[in-house]
Amino acid sequence: MTRISGKYLAKRIVVSYLTLLVIMSLLFVLLRSMPGSFITSMISSGMTAEQIARIRETWGLNEPLWRQYLNFMINYQTGNFGRSPTYNTQVWDLMIRRMPRTLVLFGSTFIIGFIVGPLVGMYLGWWRGSRKDKSIFSTSLLLYSMPSFWISWLFIWVFNYELDLLPSAYMFTQFPEFQWTAFTVMRDVLYHIALPIMSLTFIGWVGSMLIMRPTMNQVTDEGYVFLARAKGLSERTVMVKHAARNALIPVATGAVVSLAFLIDGSVIVENVFNWPGMGQIIVSSVLNRDFPVAQATFFMLAVLVVVMRLLTDVIYTYLDPRIKFGEGE
Amino acid sequence: MTLLEVNDLSIRYAIDDGSAVHASDRVSFSVDRGETYGLVGESGCGKTTLAKSLVHLLDDNGYIESGNVWFDGTLPQWADENGDAKQSVIDDPDKPVREDGKTDLAALTNKQIRDMRWRDIAIIPQSAMNALNPVYKVGDQIVEAILRHEPQTTKAEAHDRARDLLERVGIEPDRADDYAHQFSGGMKQRAVIAMAMACSPDLLIADEPTTALDVIIQDRILEELEKLQDEFGVSILVISHDISVMAEICDRMAVMYGGKVMESGRTEDIFGETANPYTLGLKNSFPTITSADQDLVSIPGTPPTLRDPDPGCRFRERCPFAIEECHAEHPPMYDVADAESTGRLREATDQRAHGSACYRIDELEQLRTDALNEDTWTEQRIESR
Repeated sequence: MTRISGKYLAKRIVVSYLTLLVIMSLLFVLLRSMPGSFITSMISSGMTAEQIARIRETWGLNEPLWRQYLNFMINYQTGNFGRSPTYNTQVWDLMIRRMPRTLVLFGSTFIIGFIVGPLVGMYLGWWRGSRKDKSIFSTSLLLYSMPSFWISWLFIWVFNYELDLLPSAYMFTQFPEFQWTAFTVMRDVLYHIALPIMSLTFIGWVGSMLIMRPTMNQVTDEGYVFLARAKGLSERTVMVKHAARNALIPVATGAVVSLAFLIDGSVIVENVFNWPGMGQIIVSSVLNRDFPVAQATFFMLAVLVVVMRLLTDVIYTYLDPRIKFGEGE
Repeated sequence: MTLLEVNDLSIRYAIDDGSAVHASDRVSFSVDRGETYGLVGESGCGKTTLAKSLVHLLDDNGYIESGNVWFDGTLPQWADENGDAKQSVIDDPDKPVREDGKTDLAALTNKQIRDMRWRDIAIIPQSAMNALNPVYKVGDQIVEAILRHEPQTTKAEAHDRARDLLERVGIEPDRADDYAHQFSGGMKQRAVIAMAMACSPDLLIADEPTTALDVIIQDRILEELEKLQDEFGVSILVISHDISVMAEICDRMAVMYGGKVMESGRTEDIFGETANPYTLGLKNSFPTITSADQDLVSIPGTPPTLRDPDPGCRFRERCPFAIEECHAEHPPMYDVADAESTGRLREATDQRAHGSACYRIDELEQLRTDALNEDTWTEQRIESR
């Protein structure tokens, strides 16, 4: 980690910040180019012109668009995300409540996927061309081509409807007959999260496996793999310590790319499982023209991706000692 | 004393269509303790395959067809406190250990041979420059080898030894904490040599130790190897196509062609009393620095493919001296000294003596004179014979 210079890091942070400013501007423009407007979420047919004018005034909609844009940009710099008309709370409070739920679900699928995927990829790449490799590889491609919502329905049908093992919706039991303690909360969340995690990880590991397998196969021909064998190390040590360790480097890049797709999937899966996370409010806020919430959720996702990109640089220097960031600048 | 005795070793590579490449065919040679033995020949003649097969490091489709690799040393669990094979192991008919305590490496399982790799036989691979793992510190990679075979060593001791080994091959001990990409090509090569000596093996296999290095570095690497040999008493099996390198460092050598040994014996005999048409051709095609305006004469044609080869002499297609007999069967090793003094062909009984696989070594004087003549080695001449 010492191989990232402070200067390089500062530069990257400035660039990330500028990226976020651009994304915010795009968000502002794109949301307002949608048919319908912000005000439609707050007015009903029985309102008088005067009432509507007052609403416009309180939400600052009388100001010219450039002024609204400036307000938006300045408010976000100071951490003021505004108020949601549909949820009738501060947007920030909504985020704070919803974000952890999404992170729990997608953090765990992300981690499971990036443990299982490279592991399977390691074995398949090492034994490339074997019968095991061929059958597992073709099965995984089949999985990869299935849409996540369809898999989710399939899992709901099997585990909820047919077997009645796991709940198909929500994060908590709706009308519990037990006391809420730290332990029961944990147990209840685990019980509810099982099915969404299962359906997400069922296909989620394939992406990283697809990156790991060919790179793993390449490194088996490297001189250091031969030397590791010649040293008398066991096949397992050669595979894990010498080959897989080198093949992991491109997988780190894949992780960041796949994160964006994971967020994609989150919207769908959260709606299928009625998971009260960010994915749900992304959809509802856009449908209701709740601009403050829509802006904030999209902004948070952008922050997540930008931060992950920054993190990969750090991970890279850890994985590959040949990589140096900020040399000669 | 003999350290390694390879007897009639045949190695094949299986091919999908059911045929097999005979990469090494009934090859025999022996290496004494403290000796440098060379395997020389063109690319694809089976020398690297032969070396890798000694410690079962062939590619997946390669296998030992027949033959023995008797090695003076045995598995740790079969050895007594002096490192010699226990009497009970020698007496056990299920264990491939001979009366004199030598173990047949060819008969060991892959799991068993792993305990002997690097501890008894270390190998410096052809691509020594790429043999260091880029993601681990060079010192740690040496430590890994030490701890693998001497688990009772502490980490600190192993690190000290690694630094000491690097120093012996002329690398500053502090560079142990560097990664391979921070080393120059020659340093990487020397680091691998240091690594090879980590468990003080009895045999060091150096596969093309100087290829891809410039002559100055080449020379230093060769000196390094000789120094280590004096210091540790290790035997070295060198594999190279470069006969000038071989002439410099080898005590004895075998000239290989098409998976067969064509000529073997002491280095000075092979170069001074050359007794095989292939060796004569090989010598012609190498430049010497002393004669300025020299026309190099190459052997016309290309080496055989070795895929289910015909029974005849492997070299006959390219040999200007081939006769009827050469097409029937590959010649056995004949005793050269015997043939020269008596004019008769007698199969060599002593592996150490100068031997040559050629039916015409009773006419050696004639062959040597003709071989010097450039016209002998033209394609027309070879086709017309």
